[in-house]
Amino acid sequence: MTLLSPEAPKVDPTLVETVLEYSYERGWTDGMPTVPCTGEQLGRFLAQTTRAADEVLLELGHLNRSLTVRLAAVNAVMAGCRPEYFPTVLAAWDALREEGYVGAGMWQSTTGIGTLLVVNGPVRNEQGFNSGANLFGSGARANATVGRALRLVAINVFGLAPGVLDQSTQGTPAKYSLCLAENEEHSPWPALAQEHGVAVGESTVTAISMRSVSHIEARQARTAEQLLYDIAGTVARTGALLQETLSTCLVLSPEHAQLLADQGFDRPQIREFLEEHAVVPEEVLVRAGKDGVSSQQRLRLPGDHPDARRDPRLASGELHVLGGPEAVNIVVAGAPNCGISAVVDAHNVGRPVPSIALVAR
Amino acid sequence: MSQPAAILDPTGREDVNQNSTLAPRSTPLSGATVALLDNGKVNGANLLEALGRLLQETEGVGELRLIHKKYAGQPLDEHELKEVASGCGFVVTAIGDCGSCSAATVADGILLERAGVPSASICTEQFAVTAAAMAEVLGFAGYRFVRTRHPVASLTSEELDGRARQIAPEVLQIWGVTA
Repeated sequence: MTLLSPEAPKVDPTLVETVLEYSYERGWTDGMPTVPCTGEQLGRFLAQTTRAADEVLLELGHLNRSLTVRLAAVNAVMAGCRPEYFPTVLAAWDALREEGYVGAGMWQSTTGIGTLLVVNGPVRNEQGFNSGANLFGSGARANATVGRALRLVAINVFGLAPGVLDQSTQGTPAKYSLCLAENEEHSPWPALAQEHGVAVGESTVTAISMRSVSHIEARQARTAEQLLYDIAGTVARTGALLQETLSTCLVLSPEHAQLLADQGFDRPQIREFLEEHAVVPEEVLVRAGKDGVSSQQRLRLPGDHPDARRDPRLASGELHVLGGPEAVNIVVAGAPNCGISAVVDAHNVGRPVPSIALVAR
Repeated sequence: MSQPAAILDPTGREDVNQNSTLAPRSTPLSGATVALLDNGKVNGANLLEALGRLLQETEGVGELRLIHKKYAGQPLDEHELKEVASGCGFVVTAIGDCGSCSAATVADGILLERAGVPSASICTEQFAVTAAAMAEVLGFAGYRFVRTRHPVASLTSEELDGRARQIAPEVLQIWGVTA
């Protein structure tokens, strides 16, 4: 047994267990222990914003449930946030509301939608958001708890308990928490927020509804084209195709971003390349039963399905899976130590720009 | 170390008593019994007694009943509530000068109003945010309480008399004695 320093706080183990079990018994949890929230903590979180406690951040009209600033604060406390993170949590809710998918009930979908949050600006370093090593893989309090603050609201406020109102067939590990900061310090390009017109010096949260994260091992890539073909092959997987086309968020490691930049590729050129080369041959779609589209919702179907229509996109004999260059978002994040990147299968078909909200100062 | 406090419900679906009705202001203050509800914080009872003496002199208040709470951090339980509310015309409670006790002080005021007794809760300005949040949690957004300068714990008895004189007008307003 390790001897603790005299400063280590002493706790009443019975009380700790009682408090943790109280929340578990009520289902106020994502499965992991939650921090009990008292009126004192609530007050400290509410003091971080000028917004009224009763302001509605997101309404799920069909469930007759509304998220107020107050409830967002209680759940942020429970997720383990520090009070100063609360404006970032509020920005995340603003971005999600504006994006529209959660309000439309996508968190209940069998697809199993989670949310990728991307933090930009000074708040990253002020609050200790990780933009480097292992950023998808836990370990930083700000990333972990800001993302989790959303998930606890889904369960507690919206009542989206798994198998009850959340009918995700499998869900995604990202539902626990998926919040990363852009590695602006190691990026050769302006930050994601600046790309979309946000002034330097502002902090923002971008919300992107998503399903899965696939990694790309390309430490061997020597040319921009080698790397981009590797990425295109990952984007254009048939399994990700639910609708006619798909969208993606490319999370480039600093090394990959630098390789692309050094060979003259900026964000628009990367988008163009991927739009042109992220393709699935028609016979591969036929094999996977995804060569047709349904008449109403334009979902992928076998060509011989009664509701299927011929997909005009296949006229050339192959499907360009990205709906257009705007279907690609590009973020630079990760440690500057290796050529490994990731493709996030996004669920933002038809959005020309991502949903970005300012963090209030 | 702060006092224990109740855990808040994160669902928004708790059975909140959305009751923002104050107790009727029908009892005359002159000759009325006033309960001084002390939460045990430093100088809380001293401030309440100074205030009580002042109101006896200026308003002709009758008997003063000093009641000590067991825990500053939690609102009165049902039994304590009955005990405090019975046999007095008005209540003043102090001192909300920490996170949990300011919340509880305001909660006590609200519970006593609902039990039919005009009640004034005294908190320090530092904790007004917490106290107001507690009022909202209890379904009484905008509940009026007395905000006094922080700190109170370090005041001398002369300074407490002075503080009582500063507070008294608002206590009388909250009790509905003066407009």
